[in-house]
Amino acid sequence: MRDTIVIGAGFAGLMGALALAEAGHQPLVLAKGQGVTHWTSGTIDLWAAAADRGPRAAVADVIAAQPDHPYGHVGVAGIDEALARFRALMAAARYPYVGSLDRNVLLPTAIGALRPAALMPATMAAGDARLGGALLLAGFRELRDFFPPLAAANITAQGIVARGVYLKLPPIRRRLDFSARTFAQLFDDAGFREDVGRQLRAARGDATRIGLPAVLGLRDPLAVVSELQALAGAPIFEIPTLPPSVPGMRLFAILRDAITRAGGRLQVGSEVLRAAGDAGQLAAVYSEAAAREQEHRAGSFLLATGGIAGGGIATDYTGAVWETALGLPLRAPMAREEWFETRFLHPDGQPIYRAGVATDERLRPLDGHGRVVYQNVAVAGAALAGADPVREGCYSGLTLATGWQAGQVLSRL
Amino acid sequence: MSMTHDHIELSLEQSLDHCIKCNICTAACPVSAVTDLFPGPKYVGPQAQRFRGQHQPSPDESVDYCSGCRVCNTVCPTGVRIAELNARARAKIVADHGLPLRNRLLERSELLGRLGCGPQAPLANFTLTNSLLRLAIERIVGVARKAPLPAFATYTFRSWFKRREQRTGNTEQRTIDDRRPTIDQSHRPSSIVHRQVVYFHGCATNYYEPRVGIAAVEVLERNGFEVILAQQNCCGLPMLSNGDFDAARRYHEHNIAKLLPYIQRGIPVVGTSTSCTLTLKEEAPELLGMHETGARMLAEQTYDIFEFLWLLHERGELNTNFTPITRTLPYHPPCQLRAHRIGRPALDVLALVPGLRLDESTASCCGIAGTYGLKREKYQIAMDVGAELFDVVRASGSDLALCDSETCRWQITHGSGVATQHPIELLRAAYA
Repeated sequence: MRDTIVIGAGFAGLMGALALAEAGHQPLVLAKGQGVTHWTSGTIDLWAAAADRGPRAAVADVIAAQPDHPYGHVGVAGIDEALARFRALMAAARYPYVGSLDRNVLLPTAIGALRPAALMPATMAAGDARLGGALLLAGFRELRDFFPPLAAANITAQGIVARGVYLKLPPIRRRLDFSARTFAQLFDDAGFREDVGRQLRAARGDATRIGLPAVLGLRDPLAVVSELQALAGAPIFEIPTLPPSVPGMRLFAILRDAITRAGGRLQVGSEVLRAAGDAGQLAAVYSEAAAREQEHRAGSFLLATGGIAGGGIATDYTGAVWETALGLPLRAPMAREEWFETRFLHPDGQPIYRAGVATDERLRPLDGHGRVVYQNVAVAGAALAGADPVREGCYSGLTLATGWQAGQVLSRL
Repeated sequence: MSMTHDHIELSLEQSLDHCIKCNICTAACPVSAVTDLFPGPKYVGPQAQRFRGQHQPSPDESVDYCSGCRVCNTVCPTGVRIAELNARARAKIVADHGLPLRNRLLERSELLGRLGCGPQAPLANFTLTNSLLRLAIERIVGVARKAPLPAFATYTFRSWFKRREQRTGNTEQRTIDDRRPTIDQSHRPSSIVHRQVVYFHGCATNYYEPRVGIAAVEVLERNGFEVILAQQNCCGLPMLSNGDFDAARRYHEHNIAKLLPYIQRGIPVVGTSTSCTLTLKEEAPELLGMHETGARMLAEQTYDIFEFLWLLHERGELNTNFTPITRTLPYHPPCQLRAHRIGRPALDVLALVPGLRLDESTASCCGIAGTYGLKREKYQIAMDVGAELFDVVRASGSDLALCDSETCRWQITHGSGVATQHPIELLRAAYA
């Protein structure tokens, strides 16, 4: 008998659940599996192509120019509010975010591209491309998909002096297989850190900053970074890895714990299969469970199941496009021929990725005639129509802001 | 056994294509976190499965180090059924190479229970706590000498139930209420019409912890239910997790035969062991490919006891006349409960008891995974997996922890030194 059901445990669902729980509700978060947190870099991206005006101003332009873009339902003030709450929560958990909505920072990726972000964990701050000096990138051969020499060569080609080295794995019991999570556990160990710190000091040379894969501990990464800095004698920064993302795991744990403390609950591994409701009110959703579906009745519902990549929107070869949890009407290309532009890397992106649920300004789902489908449902995140979050570089900003907004709207119903 | 190409097998095969190699399962796996011997669910599940042709040798034996906790299924964002893939792969190894004597013993929890439970319990318990004998058992059989084997009870739960019936003079064979409701499709136990339930006690309650069954019966009776002690046998999970599918099938068939008459009359099955109830609901039918009507009806009408009580409460029919219990206790939701995908019904129900506060642990697994942590070569892995949970329980400062699954309770007590009870025991205390 939870009063609100949140469907999806990505940024939008978790921020929505946090808003609800902090407003005195008892939300239950239902999710098919671990969400997008574990796939993301951990930076907060508001708008990639912000140029000198900065992402906040760029979003204001987008809202003016594209009335259908979901940022329009939140507004710049709504984004500020959501990100302020997000930053306060992270700071209280000793995982502070730095940066500003007034300018994007370029941070190196695992292959040495420079990627814009508005906010980043403090553990990534020293990666800012404008800081100058020479970079040392260090990694371990045992960590897959992270190649310091390759990343350094690509960064050097962009005019920043960088050198890549492999460190020797300190003596440990494990020998066979290493994931990002394994390394994060190892960095939680003082002896391991000390060994790595000494190697970094020896390898430092003339480098003024040192980049390491973003695996610097799960318990207290800020302390790990400052300890390594002291040992190595240079600022240290984390570089996001391929999934699973350790910064994403930290985010998930902080959000989960905050939601739980405030009276909410997460139920991961429970895919919502269908819904029941009429007369403009959603009454219940049904989640997959052993032997029979589980029924969840509630007063209000937040849909945050993601877009095509996240599984909230499904497609098939006939050209059908549908919303998977509640069966809401979608705004999507009518026929399969209209899904794609003629070129793979078309500057406008592919129309199918803008498919989603159209909503009113209170994020309530609309049908094809612009009528509200359910009065007690709000939609947030990548399930919303009108955005192409990956191409626009607004995934985390859009999902956090709309999630928070949806939670606010439902808490006031 | 032959791996017939039933629809489950087919759906498992098809689910491979849903794996996008994101490694979320690997990051969540509690076993690969502590040992090199298990490389993680992605490798052993969807990747190795590509090489497991019907007439090909198994590509690896590391799948035997999967504890079957199912956390991979829980976290997979694309719905790959990794735990089932692993369980079936293990069964193929057993089918090809036979079952080791040690596993043959450990999987027969009913037989072991019969041997040790009763007046001879003190002697049996002496054997199992004597360090020299345990060393000998480890050397000869391969059961870890430090592993947490439970103490046999001096009486079985069934004998308690029957004695009680005699005392109350209620010895006639129960007649089943004859109003025949249709098996309902509304996700609610049909017993709400009948106020009768069949209690599935499982081996642990019958032979080791009759107190759990006594608490369950008394709680159900406080809610106006007549509890029926139907004939039943081991649910078969220890056989499934040791890869002995042929034996598990026989056990499940027996249970269907014994329980179906009640189900057909609309009387549901309620259990206190989250692993037994999961086996009746899903593990046995899915892993063994048993899809006939009887198996399906039993699955659909089996409930974890707190799931059942919470459904009653949602209908306003739970007796909430509770005595306050002013305590704060750590609660660990066992993996087998998480695998039900029904949330945390014990937390929901116990939140109704005034003064009682339960702190849910977010530690992933206690490590024991049924018989896994009893095995000599896996004991230390199980203890390393459970270390986080043991720390949480010890740090709570409580002298009591709660957990719905029996082998997990024994492991938590073994690892943390803190006594552990089934939450139904606490709920029974609240009806004092």
